[in-house]
Amino acid sequence: MRVLVVEDDLETASFVTKGLREAGYVVDHAEDGRQALERAMSDTYDIMVIDRMLPGPNGVKVVETIREEGIDSPVLFLSALGDVEDRVEGLKAGGDDYLIKPFAFAELLARLEALTRRGRGQGELTQLSVGDLEMDILARKVTREGKRVYLHPREFKLLEYLMRHAGQVVTRTMLLENVWEYHFDPQTNVIDVHISRLRQKIDKPFETAILQTIRGAGYKLEPAV
Amino acid sequence: MARLGRLVKTTTFRLAVLYTAVFAGSVGALFVFVFINTSVFAEQQTEAAIEAEVKGFQDTFRREGVGGLVSAINRRIDPNTRTDGIYLLINPNQQRLAGNLTAWPDDVEADDLWINFSIVDLQAAEPGLADVRGLQFLIPGGYRLMVGRDIREARAFRAQLLRSLNIGLGITIALGVVGGLLFSRSIMGRVEDITQTCRRIMRGDLSQRIDSTGQSDELSRLSDSVNEMLDQIEHLMSGLREVSDNVAHDLRTPLNRLRVRLEIAANNATDEKEKEEIEEAIADADGLLATFASLLRIARAEASLRRSFGPLQLGSIIEDVVDLYQPLAEEKGVEFGSNIDFSVTGWGDSNLVAQALANLTDNAVKYTPEGGNVSISLKAENGSAVLEITDSGPGIPASHRDKVFERLYRLDDSRSTPGSGLGLSLVRAVARSHGLSVTLSDNAPGLAVSVVFPPPPGPAGGAVTKSP
Repeated sequence: MRVLVVEDDLETASFVTKGLREAGYVVDHAEDGRQALERAMSDTYDIMVIDRMLPGPNGVKVVETIREEGIDSPVLFLSALGDVEDRVEGLKAGGDDYLIKPFAFAELLARLEALTRRGRGQGELTQLSVGDLEMDILARKVTREGKRVYLHPREFKLLEYLMRHAGQVVTRTMLLENVWEYHFDPQTNVIDVHISRLRQKIDKPFETAILQTIRGAGYKLEPAV
Repeated sequence: MARLGRLVKTTTFRLAVLYTAVFAGSVGALFVFVFINTSVFAEQQTEAAIEAEVKGFQDTFRREGVGGLVSAINRRIDPNTRTDGIYLLINPNQQRLAGNLTAWPDDVEADDLWINFSIVDLQAAEPGLADVRGLQFLIPGGYRLMVGRDIREARAFRAQLLRSLNIGLGITIALGVVGGLLFSRSIMGRVEDITQTCRRIMRGDLSQRIDSTGQSDELSRLSDSVNEMLDQIEHLMSGLREVSDNVAHDLRTPLNRLRVRLEIAANNATDEKEKEEIEEAIADADGLLATFASLLRIARAEASLRRSFGPLQLGSIIEDVVDLYQPLAEEKGVEFGSNIDFSVTGWGDSNLVAQALANLTDNAVKYTPEGGNVSISLKAENGSAVLEITDSGPGIPASHRDKVFERLYRLDDSRSTPGSGLGLSLVRAVARSHGLSVTLSDNAPGLAVSVVFPPPPGPAGGAVTKSP
């Protein structure tokens, strides 16, 4: 996996680069908009992490330009600007996800993972399965070990998101944004409560737990080995 | 008809009416002047002719006596010489000596020597009453002479003149009113344009400008001034945004660096205790960052440009929030219900309103003890959406109800409960930018928070949607 990190703050860039390398990515770094364009045009990247506020052409301009050039690698915006308007502007320009600074490195990793998977076109499946857990999206039916599991609509949506991102870390913010479609942070960790209720239904009655809590990051749905 | 009513109420129309009245008044005065002058002139002409004739008869009398007078009169009324004069000479016994009147008129109004009377004209093509103005002349010896003129024509001319002037005045007033209506409609159209543009701008679209007609009249100058003012406001707003964006960038980047550094340190730590301490430091940093993020969000909510505003299906926002907090309430043993009128809509930014509602709900659920209940209701009152969140928690003493909206303010006995004290500040910021009124009251026991939305922008304000 090749990643282009565009970040003008050298220290943040070096942490991000280092972290991503440790996670197994091949990382290139660009310091400003001009350099970012040069790199993106001359090399092929699986994913790009671009800061919104950059010297030279800013992040939004960079993404607009590379999209016009027909480069369709997923782009994740990093930004200190957290407004819905800023987010919409970023996504309109051709960004695929938007992460607000400051962020936990685990959040960045989780989102990059989700974005690179998305690229492989898993989103269209209507039959999902993770180990012995199966979901038929059209029939709104969930079974584990062949036994029917009854879920509320929201629990269904939550599980669907987790199953589509099986094996990846999914953060609480990602869940709120994608399952509830709101961009705000609940003061109390209400997501945890939703997860624990889901666990009651898909894990508790069975021998092994497949919905893991990843400390300091979020959750991961993974078949027990 | 309503349009006409609106037109009549405009200032321009009133001005036009006033202008028409003043104009009609001047024209009327002018006409009166013309009328008086013309008719008086005609009368004077007649009287001058009569006086000249009387003077002639006086000379004849002095030279030739009564006999001369008789023959002079007879010459005048000779049927062969067409005359419009009326003559009568009588002796002291009231007998006619000469003239074309049968008898001295008895029905006379006399002032001085001038008299007015009517006669039956037998010679005219259409026999009828004729009005006569005459001058009587006393001759020594008891004789009396009267010289008159038929003033029917002059009277008719006067009437004709009066009619014409009245018609002229009528046309003037009609033209004035029609002109006033057209004039005020065109002015009103342009003023309406300016009003519409201002409304769109107030709804948050600062890029709107008033169309310039390119003329250099007062309205165009007003439009240009408003446009310039808008440019300046837009400039200031973007300046403000830039400043807060820069502050966000400048402060968040180092904070972020700190957090990442701690994270890496935690990963590299080999000693379990050391690792735990670093993780605590990360949690502290997260708390700091969350507070900072909330402050920024509040600033943004207060300055929200309304560009992201739209019709809100408040019912579905409440449903989402209830859905989000329901499990939490259940886990706490708090009954949580809602009573929603889905036809009620609001106007605003759905994320900000949802965040404000979530903060209020969060508080209600957080402070309500086990076995209590929290309830959200939505209804319409006097055309406004009214949202109410009630709980059965400890409530807020009346003296503290204003202060809880202040940043970082927390009731003493709630310090042990997790929270930054910024939740209600955000609610207040959202309320300010959305024009909501938020009131706290006693739910006996517990707290009742009532949020009243302003009526959505009217038909002129664009989209007002009602859910089915």
